[in-house]
Amino acid sequence: MFLAIRELLFAKTKYILIGLITTLTVSLIFIVSGLAEGLSADNASSIQGLAADSLVLEAEAEGELGSSFIPMQKAKEIINDQEQEANTLSIQMMNATVGGGDKQISLALFATERDGMLIPEVTEGRSPKQENEVLADESLKQDGIQLGDELQLGEETTYVVAGFTTEQRYSHTPVVFVKSDDLEQVNAVAVKGESVSEGAYSTIPKMDALHGIPSYSQEQASLNMMIIFLYVITAFVLAVFFYVMTLQKRDQFGVLKALGANNTYLISGLIIQVILLSIVSVGIATAISFGIGALFPADMPFILNMATIVQPAIIIIVVSVLGAVVSLYQVIQIDPLEAIEGVAT
Amino acid sequence: MTLVLEHVHKVYQDGPKEYVALNDASLQVQAGEFVAVVGPSGSGKSTLLSIAGALLSPTSGKVLLDGENIVTLSKKEVTKRRLEKIGFIFQAAHLLPYLKVKDQLNVMSVLAHKSKQQKTDILAHLGLEHRIHHYPNDLSGGERQRVAIARALVNNPQLILADEPTASLDSSRGQEVVKLLANEVKEGNKAGVMVTHDERVLGYADRIITIRDGKVELG
Ligand SMILES: Nc1ncnc2c1ncn2[C@@H]1O[C@H](COP(=O)(O)OP(=O)(O)OP(=O)(O)O)[C@@H](O)[C@H]1O
Ligand SMILES: [Mg+2]
Repeated sequence: MFLAIRELLFAKTKYILIGLITTLTVSLIFIVSGLAEGLSADNASSIQGLAADSLVLEAEAEGELGSSFIPMQKAKEIINDQEQEANTLSIQMMNATVGGGDKQISLALFATERDGMLIPEVTEGRSPKQENEVLADESLKQDGIQLGDELQLGEETTYVVAGFTTEQRYSHTPVVFVKSDDLEQVNAVAVKGESVSEGAYSTIPKMDALHGIPSYSQEQASLNMMIIFLYVITAFVLAVFFYVMTLQKRDQFGVLKALGANNTYLISGLIIQVILLSIVSVGIATAISFGIGALFPADMPFILNMATIVQPAIIIIVVSVLGAVVSLYQVIQIDPLEAIEGVAT
Repeated sequence: MTLVLEHVHKVYQDGPKEYVALNDASLQVQAGEFVAVVGPSGSGKSTLLSIAGALLSPTSGKVLLDGENIVTLSKKEVTKRRLEKIGFIFQAAHLLPYLKVKDQLNVMSVLAHKSKQQKTDILAHLGLEHRIHHYPNDLSGGERQRVAIARALVNNPQLILADEPTASLDSSRGQEVVKLLANEVKEGNKAGVMVTHDERVLGYADRIITIRDGKVELG
């Protein structure tokens, strides 16, 4: 500690520069994490926040909501079989126009029992009462929709927005909750707790249904790939930096060893430097990422909070220390004899 | 402290060739005695000093510090002996560039898990009191070497080993530094060994030992 801190302060410029590079890669990790989180919510918040724990699907659908079809009659039987509360769920992607205009708006229609458990909390307006009233995600407001506006679906159907709810998006479109009474078939039965299913029907935890959402896995996989690469880059940059620093300080380490410093002391000094550097970088990067996040437009799918940051922050500190292992080996290898001129090692 | 080397052999393995750097070298240095080691280049002086200072293990023979044979100790133990019993002064001062003079000494206390008590006594003794807050870069060569001596003395080691401590100094500075060393050995009743090429400083030594081709010729 004694040496580690004094050296950091003395060689400020070097450490500030490397800290700057780490801060940038870490900021990038946080921002991409925020994007992954934002896109994930934009794509699936309606499923992630669904007031159920598991879904009964048609077995043949292999976990894909969109390919699962359960006749209404059968769905009611399944609901009766459950020990806990259950409701039907049917998802349909639709285009709507507003008040006879030309503008098309994409919607995800979630059909379920009108007063069922799947209906989220109303944040504005009121719960639908009339036959044609619906509850819509507030992101529809960005398309200019207000309470009481009419959504025209095809020739016959017209819905009236009675209330707004929040965090209900599916496949990057706003969700509109409609009633399922007159449907002939549904996609799934959503169940609280463990669900019971048999025969041609199978049960999945609701989070597994995310993979069935178009592009969900691909989006997350490509962003996660970027994040993993950034971890590797951060670890490499720090590893190379501390490796070169250690090489440069070879004779200093030799002298210290000759004077009686043991490996444990020298190594812990190095680790303290790495940890300090990565913690400071993570700290500054957190501020930068929140700052940049605040500049993004409101409808940009970007979610950054302390919960999103904690995991990558810990990973960064761990990989930084791992990166320093090569240098630790160097330190151990250095012979105190190097302090004595002429006696080669 | 007495330092005793008994029948020390050191053979360097240089590929298939073997090179005998020390051949049956024996030596005794009593407490309060300051011994100079001289000899032609390549005769084995640094090798002898490194073995005495537990930096290098001999091929055979014993090295006794106050009767304890350090040759058979583990690496960790040997490092501890260096810290507690031996003060090293090298050809170059080898100060850490990022430490102020006072911290060059404090680091020795930190390593020995001792409190960082005031080092002003030692520094004043070596005429460095006005340099306490300077970095090595701002010191003259003589001052640096004096800081290195101060550093070697901080933990009050009973054995002081110096390998050509005057090599980087001009003649008058060199004399000054060796005089200091000799004084420290006398006053602290320590055992001191100094390798040197500089004949003008031999006057400060109690005894001069010559090494030729790895053999000790007692003078
Ligand atoms: N690791 C090694 N491998 C092979 N030979 C070595 C090794 N280290 C030292 N030697 C040889 O051992 C001999 C003694 O070396 P040493 O450094 O002890 O000499 P010295 O008396 O200190 O010389 P100088 O006055 O030049 O410092 C030299 O011939 C040197 O080349
Ligand atoms: Mg030598």
